[in-house]
Amino acid sequence: MMDKLKLGVFELTDCGGCALNMLFLYEKLFDLLEFYEITEFHMATSLSEGNHYDVALVTGTVSTQRDLNLLKEARNHSEYLIALGTCATHGSVQASVELPIREKLKAVYGDDGNPMRALDSKPVVEYVAVDFALPGCPYDKNEVYQVLMDIAKGIEPVRKDYPVCLECKLNEYECVLVKKGLPCLGPITYGGCNAVCVRSGLGCIGCRGPLPGEVNPAGEYEILKELSYDDEYIVRKFKTFARWEP
Amino acid sequence: MIIELREFTRVEGNGKAEIVIEDGEVKDVRLKIIEGPRFFELLTLGRHYYDVPDLEARICAICYLSHSVASVLGIERAFGVEVPEEIALIRELGLIGELLESHALHLYLLVAPDVFGYPDAIRMATKHGELVKEGLALKGFGNRIRVMVGGREIHGINVKPGGFGRYPTVEELERVETESEALLRLARRAVRLFTQLDPYGAQAKHFVATDGYLWGEKLVSDEEGEFHYTERIEERSLVYSFAKQSRYKGEAFFVGALPRLLLKSEMLTPRAKRLFEEHRGKLETGYVSYNNLAQAIELVYSLERANEIAKTLLDRGIEGENIPVEPREGEGIGYVEAPRGVLIHHYRIDGSGNIAYSNIITPTALNHAMMEASLLEEARKLYGEADERAMIGRLEETVRAFDPCISCSVHLVKL
Repeated sequence: MMDKLKLGVFELTDCGGCALNMLFLYEKLFDLLEFYEITEFHMATSLSEGNHYDVALVTGTVSTQRDLNLLKEARNHSEYLIALGTCATHGSVQASVELPIREKLKAVYGDDGNPMRALDSKPVVEYVAVDFALPGCPYDKNEVYQVLMDIAKGIEPVRKDYPVCLECKLNEYECVLVKKGLPCLGPITYGGCNAVCVRSGLGCIGCRGPLPGEVNPAGEYEILKELSYDDEYIVRKFKTFARWEP
Repeated sequence: MIIELREFTRVEGNGKAEIVIEDGEVKDVRLKIIEGPRFFELLTLGRHYYDVPDLEARICAICYLSHSVASVLGIERAFGVEVPEEIALIRELGLIGELLESHALHLYLLVAPDVFGYPDAIRMATKHGELVKEGLALKGFGNRIRVMVGGREIHGINVKPGGFGRYPTVEELERVETESEALLRLARRAVRLFTQLDPYGAQAKHFVATDGYLWGEKLVSDEEGEFHYTERIEERSLVYSFAKQSRYKGEAFFVGALPRLLLKSEMLTPRAKRLFEEHRGKLETGYVSYNNLAQAIELVYSLERANEIAKTLLDRGIEGENIPVEPREGEGIGYVEAPRGVLIHHYRIDGSGNIAYSNIITPTALNHAMMEASLLEEARKLYGEADERAMIGRLEETVRAFDPCISCSVHLVKL
């Protein structure tokens, strides 16, 4: 039998969802374990025995000096590093508070000091080179399963290249932007969630970040303006999960 | 001398502890939340109320629905909106699903390895595969309810002020009815398993919960009637932790499954009530480790209650009508029992529906002082008696008993 690949899961600052989502793979997790041995995953195991990882999954934003040290350690000791989830790929919600760290800490903790060495929250991709970036708040668990299986079989995983809108069409969901006038970011958001919010009859909140390439945020902006949403509201919506440039 | 424990494992988020030794004795323990701050109150400030529950859901993945519901309750109270029984029941069903998902995760995947002496559930599965599968079955059921009510397994957006984006279908409710019945046997087995745990940690002196079983208008404690958190609970910053610490009338207190059972046993479903009575003597000692047993009893409660709610909704039929919500200037507090204890969302909203003030206090923050007290108690008992590895292992179990959710604890703020 061939040696199993060593897999590390590293959590920086986040809600825990991207690590938890791995456990939500249920029996598929056991399928993955045919190919991988988990040597670091602190939410799931008390063992920590890795100093080399074939694949490292890094979730969360860099929000403290500890996060930065851990990220560098993961990068230096891994062959293939995946930035997993919108915190790691785009900064997600905690990076959208655009005040200097000193002011944020003052508002919350009430003094000027920074004893715990907090940093402005930034995505993993701003600090290190990553081999693959898989967004989503949280990411689609079947997508990470596919990516890890591809790597195990020596195939370079494929990035999706379509917006959420396409998944709405495939599911034959009614367009909430056109029919209900709801603020839906589906036309400019990177697909892969299977249009889960529109399934509930609600607008896409853009949690997977902008679709790279031909996306047209200016067009989306105009549509929302016509639906009489004000500028500040639209800009905030664009900037919640990723820092779009409209 | 300071013994620094490594980062806690098999908990959600990043935290660790320090034990301060002076003259050969344990002098102090510091619980350090090293997860970075996430500034949720600042994030929601100035935002339109309609988008806020979806953002607040991101505070925690394990209990996102508790955050959405607490947020929605706070907003509705600020506007003076009351929802009909149908909407209230569906929300309760969602919270029940979350309780099942979260308790099963905690008991089977995080605590059970301690009971059987394994570093994790994956390695435990080689010998106790059935048990791991049972845990996953309960958890999977809880998650299916979360998808049905919340919109997806993690961070759904279906729970809205005034109702839902999408309502459960008859088929979905019928499935809840059958599956909850079928899974009861597993939950009762869990109760037998977790009665075996030793008492450890401190014995809590004060217990706090919401006045209803899974949410309420106010809080209650073991020694007095209803109160608002602002009247009794104080928060302060710590130099060694990103989480603040809360105290009830100046003292450490306990929120979670054990306080819920002790304060609200009369609200339990029949089988859960019988199990509570059977283990009452043990539970009333107040040892924090019995929180695990209390969670197992709550698995039984959740399945019985899910069954009741599904039946009620099927009998009366689903109308699927949202209540219109008109923003107006106001203030409201949402109190919810997250799986690990009381969760508070407090908002002031301006006339155009934007958030003007926001304060969130999570169960892990409320329990922070109690966790330190428990670590201190346990460290004093074990220091010099047990070897350091065994002591550290037990200290980790002590923290784990609270089912701490560290990510959520790092953004409590008074503005």
